[in-house]
Amino acid sequence: MIFDITVRGQQRRVEVDRRGGDLLVRMEGAAEVVRLEPAAGSEWWRLEVGGRAIPVRLHARDGEVLATLGAVRVMVGVRRSLPIRSRRFPAAEGDGRVEVRAPMPGLVTATPLAHGEAVERGGTVAIVEAMKMQMEVPTPAAGRIEEVRVQPGQEVAGGQVLVVVRASSAEDPGKANPEGSEKAHP
Amino acid sequence: MPPIRRLLIANRGEIAVRIVRACRDLGIAPLAVYAPIDAGAPHVRGADEAFALPGDAPRDSYLNGPLLIGLAQRAGADAIHPGYGFLAENATFAAACEAAGVTFVGPPGSVLDRCGDKAAARAAAASAGVPVLPGTSPVTDDDALREAGAIGFPVLIKAVGGGGGKGIHLVRAPEDLPGAMRLARGEAQAAFGDPRVYLERWIEPSQHIEVQILADAAGSVIHLGERACSVQRRHQKLIEEAPAPGLDPDLRETMGRAAIAVARALGYCNAGTVEFLVSGDEFYFLEVNARIQVEHPVTEIVTGCDLVAAQLAIAGGAPLPVRQEDIRPSGCAIECRIGAEDPHNDFLPSVGRFDGVVEPAGPGIRVDSGLWAGQSVSRHFDPLLAKVIASGPTRAVAIARMRRALAEFFVSGLDTTIPFHLWALEQPGFVAGRYDVRFAEGWGHGPDSPGADRLAVLAAAAWAHRRIEIPTLPTDGASPRWIAAAREEGLR
Repeated sequence: MIFDITVRGQQRRVEVDRRGGDLLVRMEGAAEVVRLEPAAGSEWWRLEVGGRAIPVRLHARDGEVLATLGAVRVMVGVRRSLPIRSRRFPAAEGDGRVEVRAPMPGLVTATPLAHGEAVERGGTVAIVEAMKMQMEVPTPAAGRIEEVRVQPGQEVAGGQVLVVVRASSAEDPGKANPEGSEKAHP
Repeated sequence: MPPIRRLLIANRGEIAVRIVRACRDLGIAPLAVYAPIDAGAPHVRGADEAFALPGDAPRDSYLNGPLLIGLAQRAGADAIHPGYGFLAENATFAAACEAAGVTFVGPPGSVLDRCGDKAAARAAAASAGVPVLPGTSPVTDDDALREAGAIGFPVLIKAVGGGGGKGIHLVRAPEDLPGAMRLARGEAQAAFGDPRVYLERWIEPSQHIEVQILADAAGSVIHLGERACSVQRRHQKLIEEAPAPGLDPDLRETMGRAAIAVARALGYCNAGTVEFLVSGDEFYFLEVNARIQVEHPVTEIVTGCDLVAAQLAIAGGAPLPVRQEDIRPSGCAIECRIGAEDPHNDFLPSVGRFDGVVEPAGPGIRVDSGLWAGQSVSRHFDPLLAKVIASGPTRAVAIARMRRALAEFFVSGLDTTIPFHLWALEQPGFVAGRYDVRFAEGWGHGPDSPGADRLAVLAAAAWAHRRIEIPTLPTDGASPRWIAAAREEGLR
């Protein structure tokens, strides 16, 4: 699950996935194992992170989440980043070129496909490592690799283009809908 | 006066619970009264009998003197304990109790009258050789400006009817006086049923230090040491402690003697507090609080004297339970008042319903609380919910225990003042015991911390994930955003 989380005007893309009883939270190139357990009533929680347990009160007000930790209150904007576009426009195709971007900042450890190689939709075009977690970066469209813009060992920012894929029109339902460009669904 | 056997408690919240406990310790039957919103509250559940009051508004409930006296008579109560606030310093009510043959646990009406007439109290203090600040009797709006000019700005407007910060306004310039008078009168009328206010000179910087006294009907008076109450916001105390840190031993001794002298000059009886303003080596008598005070537990802990039990014993005609030479305060006790206010939002009262409460405990921790899960906090009453009192052989131990206790205190459903207290306990000035009445201004709208930002993001992300993964039925409090998110999820 991906969330856009805003604190003091700064937006972060935060990915949360289940890892057994814990959650793996990835943001800003770091991944942390987190556990959130109810502590009291509807608002008090116990946040376990980095070997510490921290009581935190979370409550919603005016569409924001207010987090109170000790004396400090932090107003947090939480917005679910829903990948609906991938359902309606699976190829996410614009001019036929699909840019595959880094989901988070990290270190590129591999680019398994070279220029001109064919790739299936969902195939891995790069592997990015952050905090000892490796993530395979898939392409949303099938086609051929047109550009590999990064190389193993390179640091990348979140959202940086890693690979460009030339979508194959034959299996691209997005073609039938020229409005379905990636730009329309950022 | 015969010993008290059945006691009607004409109050609510933590002080009513405190009085129920004193009754149990003494074998007295406690009888509770409750406004509709307090049905099911701890003081109601703890009492032997409880009587419903007709409405939530104070004038229908805990300020309704004739109704309360009638209930006491019908219930066979031989005494009424008014707690603090409400009718505690109402001379008419005290006199009506005595006339109805019900003992009023507190000073007699005539003494309440003298203490309530602030000019008379000041004159009594001055005649006893105690330094006083310039001040007025109850003033009319027409006379206020002239009288304020005579005593000199800044002035403090205070309610004749009682304390608790209600009706108190600091006025620095003459043009602000009329508006502040209006506010003060309105607050005083609502809180005490008495719109009278008076003016007093204000000095800065200063410390608020008060001395606990006990006096019996035979005229014996002792003092039980002082409390420092300078952590205040809008003249509402937030943290109190005993002893006052850094108070010169000679000054402490002098103030103790001064408090006894004031009590004697007023013919005081029962428990009371003599308030002083301390500035450097100087101290000035402010007023007598003729009631048990919110912050009485810190004195109970360092002296070992149960003040509410002493009140009941004295009201029952007994002599003072202890002698002055038996009072040897030891250690340190600090009290944090937990109120339903949002410290991050200018301490706005927080109104609503609690859905979960976990109170702290453990070594050196006492919690006097009227909190209960399911409780509704209404606009009608004071926001005080509970008091955490931490004590130890030294001030440093008491502070460490207080930090621990407040980190264990979870109140879900409403904002409380706990974050303010956690901040205060970390401030170098507080830790060093060097602070004055402006200390709480340093809070502003609360501290920032980059470390907390990161934890807040982690917590909010985990929370959002959980709310999507574990669907819950929408409740009144559910955010439309979550409902929208759930719908989007359903479409996928």
